[in-house]
Amino acid sequence: MGIFQEPDGLRRVVLNRTFVITLTGMTIFAIFSFSVDRFFTVENLLNTLRQIAILGILSVGMTLLFAVGEIDIAIGSIYGFLTVVMGILVGRYGWNPWEGMLAVIALGALIGANTGLIVTKIGIPSFVVTLAEMVAYRSASLLASGERPSEVEGSGSFYAASGGYIGGAFPWLIVWMMVIVIAGGVILTRTKFGCHVFATGGDQEAARNWGINTRRIKFWCFVSMGALCGLSGALLFGWLQVAAPITGTGLEFGVIAAVILGGTALQGGRGSIYGSLVGAVIIGMLSSGLVLLGLSQQWKDVATGALILLAAALDWFGRKVGRRFAPAVAEAD
Amino acid sequence: MRPDLQEAELFHLQNPPSDGAAVSCLRGRGLSKSFGHVRALHGVDIDVFGREVLAIVGDNGAGKSTLTKILSGVIQPDRGDIYIGQEKVHISDARRAHELGVATVFQTLALVNCRDVACNLFLGREPIVGGIFVDRKKMLADARVAFAELGINIPNLLAEVSELSGGQRQCVAIARAMSQNSQIVIMDEPTAALGVKESGHVLDLIMRLRAAGRAVIIISHNMHHVFSVADRIMVLRRGTLAGLRHKSETTADEIVALIVGGDAIVKERKETHPDAGLLSPAAGE
Repeated sequence: MGIFQEPDGLRRVVLNRTFVITLTGMTIFAIFSFSVDRFFTVENLLNTLRQIAILGILSVGMTLLFAVGEIDIAIGSIYGFLTVVMGILVGRYGWNPWEGMLAVIALGALIGANTGLIVTKIGIPSFVVTLAEMVAYRSASLLASGERPSEVEGSGSFYAASGGYIGGAFPWLIVWMMVIVIAGGVILTRTKFGCHVFATGGDQEAARNWGINTRRIKFWCFVSMGALCGLSGALLFGWLQVAAPITGTGLEFGVIAAVILGGTALQGGRGSIYGSLVGAVIIGMLSSGLVLLGLSQQWKDVATGALILLAAALDWFGRKVGRRFAPAVAEAD
Repeated sequence: MRPDLQEAELFHLQNPPSDGAAVSCLRGRGLSKSFGHVRALHGVDIDVFGREVLAIVGDNGAGKSTLTKILSGVIQPDRGDIYIGQEKVHISDARRAHELGVATVFQTLALVNCRDVACNLFLGREPIVGGIFVDRKKMLADARVAFAELGINIPNLLAEVSELSGGQRQCVAIARAMSQNSQIVIMDEPTAALGVKESGHVLDLIMRLRAAGRAVIIISHNMHHVFSVADRIMVLRRGTLAGLRHKSETTADEIVALIVGGDAIVKERKETHPDAGLLSPAAGE
């Protein structure tokens, strides 16, 4: 019974967001390389990647959350709060920075667990819960720090491994980002957990029907988001050796922009960590290229906004084309 | 005892199941369920045998869904017993039903549309390698076997379910239910959302399940489909058994009359118009 037809090859490529985002990234890269002096230098490219390292790390957690059908808009505040806590632990109480890092990762995981419990057990939408947290944790970091930045004169393995370079040239931050991105990608695409993340985000009722504990899956996505905020805060502190209470203000929008650019759907069920990484790299390239062109940083946000709209338009167009090619029979749902 | 119950029991005595399946695969006795003040099901008996298709028909609110939900473990009956083979069982939830060999294809299909076919087939019971990783190779190989056994031709297991047509989705959902080697398959409106050709494929699949010795229960509003696959037809009306007929011994008109509760109309019609029973089966839709 030959009722299953091979999907049209061209259509698959056009609809494939991974392909589209990669092409977009390469196009922007090519344009800047040819038109902007000093853009296509090893130094500038490595520096660009270093600038987006934290954006990239956080976008891994956000991709998980989007894929499972949730959102966390408090990550900028939580990341700032945990940076401040790191600064206090290391700067004021003289903790070993490695221990400080473990502590803020654990604290971040706890914060994420708290969010996860409120969302899954009480059933308040994550947008509302994290909106409250966004305000609360920003104030918490101001209160905890006494509105003063904590500074350290850092030297030693932790500072070398966060702000330093491998062989004097390759920033360690990029290594951290790549490790998290690869780990996140493997978890999302290769493991049972990742499979259940997509199933939960795609159709929670169906997933539950087949015995998947959708609450538990969501809970662990929030926990990993929190832990990644902690890791990012610790790395930022090791890099800059200062913890400012306004750290991460507005960062959630950059992260969400990277994830959406990368083709991860807000409504859940789809998502690619590779796409989010390319999204983050695109934002980094825009920032670096426009600065080299002598334009203000604000133009980067204008360009990012335009790209998000373009991505959304492509997505809409893709689905419209997809529908036109779909078999002309009644939909089952 | 109420007369319709006697009718049901008498029916089984007089009509031993064909093809030598001596004991019923699944038996329900006196199943009752109320939702608040609404009596959805009241003392209904059901028997289904291996190698047969039992159709459950009835108007909206007749208790069809309630009955199948009880059998698939989604809801619990207030009263009544369920037997599988000779054993009395308690179907506490959907998972227990699967363990007992009762698979249900819900009307919603319960597929995740944005995931591929193979993923959907093994959702919640993925083959695992190395403790946490999904064994994609085994999953695809097993999926191919599962589809081949059901005679479903599916060249691309990596296509998203959302890309499939309604009939294809129905086939995936049936394959999903069947791949647990279930002896009893319950299908809620398997052809409701499908076109003519696709319905044909699904009805073919039902006949193949029957030929493989499975007991199949289908709910359908489509008299034409009911008459093309069912061996017996069970009519529910307002939560009670209104009639149980062998396909060969009834007509679409009689079934429709049982559904709406007008036995008298049929008799009257038959007396005045001897050809009334030949009315198009599609009239039952």
